[in-house]
Amino acid sequence: MPKKVLVVDDSLVVARQLEQIIGGSGDFCCIGSVRNGAEAIKANQQDNPDIICMDMNMPGMDGLTALRSIVALDKEVKVVMVTSLGGVSDNFNEAMKLGARCVISKPFVAEDILGALRAL
Amino acid sequence: MAVKFFGQYLVEKGVVSREAIVEAIALQEKQNLKLGEMAVSMGLVTSADIERAHQSQLSRDMKLGDLLVATGTLTEGQLADVVARQQATHLYIGEALIKVGALDQEKLARQLEAFKLDQAPYVADGIALPVKVADAPLWEMTVDLTYKLVTRVLGLRFRPGACQVVSQLPASHQTAALDFAGDASARYLIAVSEPVQKKVAQALLHAAVVDHEPVEVLEDCLLEFINVVCGNVAAKASQDGFTLTINPPVTVPAPAAGLPLAAGEVGLCFPIHLEDGHQMELYLVLPK
Repeated sequence: MPKKVLVVDDSLVVARQLEQIIGGSGDFCCIGSVRNGAEAIKANQQDNPDIICMDMNMPGMDGLTALRSIVALDKEVKVVMVTSLGGVSDNFNEAMKLGARCVISKPFVAEDILGALRAL
Repeated sequence: MAVKFFGQYLVEKGVVSREAIVEAIALQEKQNLKLGEMAVSMGLVTSADIERAHQSQLSRDMKLGDLLVATGTLTEGQLADVVARQQATHLYIGEALIKVGALDQEKLARQLEAFKLDQAPYVADGIALPVKVADAPLWEMTVDLTYKLVTRVLGLRFRPGACQVVSQLPASHQTAALDFAGDASARYLIAVSEPVQKKVAQALLHAAVVDHEPVEVLEDCLLEFINVVCGNVAAKASQDGFTLTINPPVTVPAPAAGLPLAAGEVGLCFPIHLEDGHQMELYLVLPK
């Protein structure tokens, strides 16, 4: 059974890219996308995804703040950060300490995303 | 395909585990003292001096070291000693991973070579700004990285035009802007005509035709492109010890008469001439 993935990104374009990559993989299915951290916390409780692919830099609640809440409330879900700020060491360190499984930098290609998801 | 941090690269490639990297980061944080902590550990200042300096920073836009010198708490020579000690004792992530048993020397050397190859497309080419501004090398790197990502992300062939100093930003079909803050500040903007906006969308959506796309999707493509560029700029800056933060990008409505710059700002325009005759412009608005 494909693993359920929730996408969190304020960019319509990135959300669409991730939905296409994830949906076309066969191993995973995208159960939807939301546009900021607060919506991600709510969607995680409602939809119970196996994996969350989440941006860091979003208006409203940012990705690191949401990550902290999500892993505190849900020990099962695996969070992968997908961000243009992944190469900033402070951001990478903070995300990993908070419980992210890995950090993928933008721009990404399909193999970056699927490779990371399959390694979880 | 992006500017990366070595630890991130190792996790991404599956060379080290998440647990190992978290352990190595913890070791780094224990050993790599901040400037104030190092100055205290060397007996040059007290914790109270550092606390006072941090309080002053709330109202004075100065780095801690400069502030400690300006207030007479440290001499310039002492500050140089503190920085030198920080550099001499700095534990890099690769060394930390060896200490926690996740890598050995040979594997580290091999991975560093592979990492250099992975990051070779982002090694800076020389770009010189035509006016004197603070942190010029940082902004030169920003322009250089923009050019590289126009090629790699948008797949567009182009010729960079000569940089011009401007006093206002001309009107365009879409102007996307993002503010840098932190150790340096600037507003980064890219202005495009309608045909170039569609080229950006074609590249990001991997679609030959984008005419049917809603305006918000077309605009979002340019916003996402500058988000990617500026995130990579922040990543590269962090390798040079600069902390830059970025806000989510926005589309700036430009009146037909153009957007004048504020007093105290200097605008630099870098025209990007595409091979099919179209043009996009990169603007940097910097403090004078």
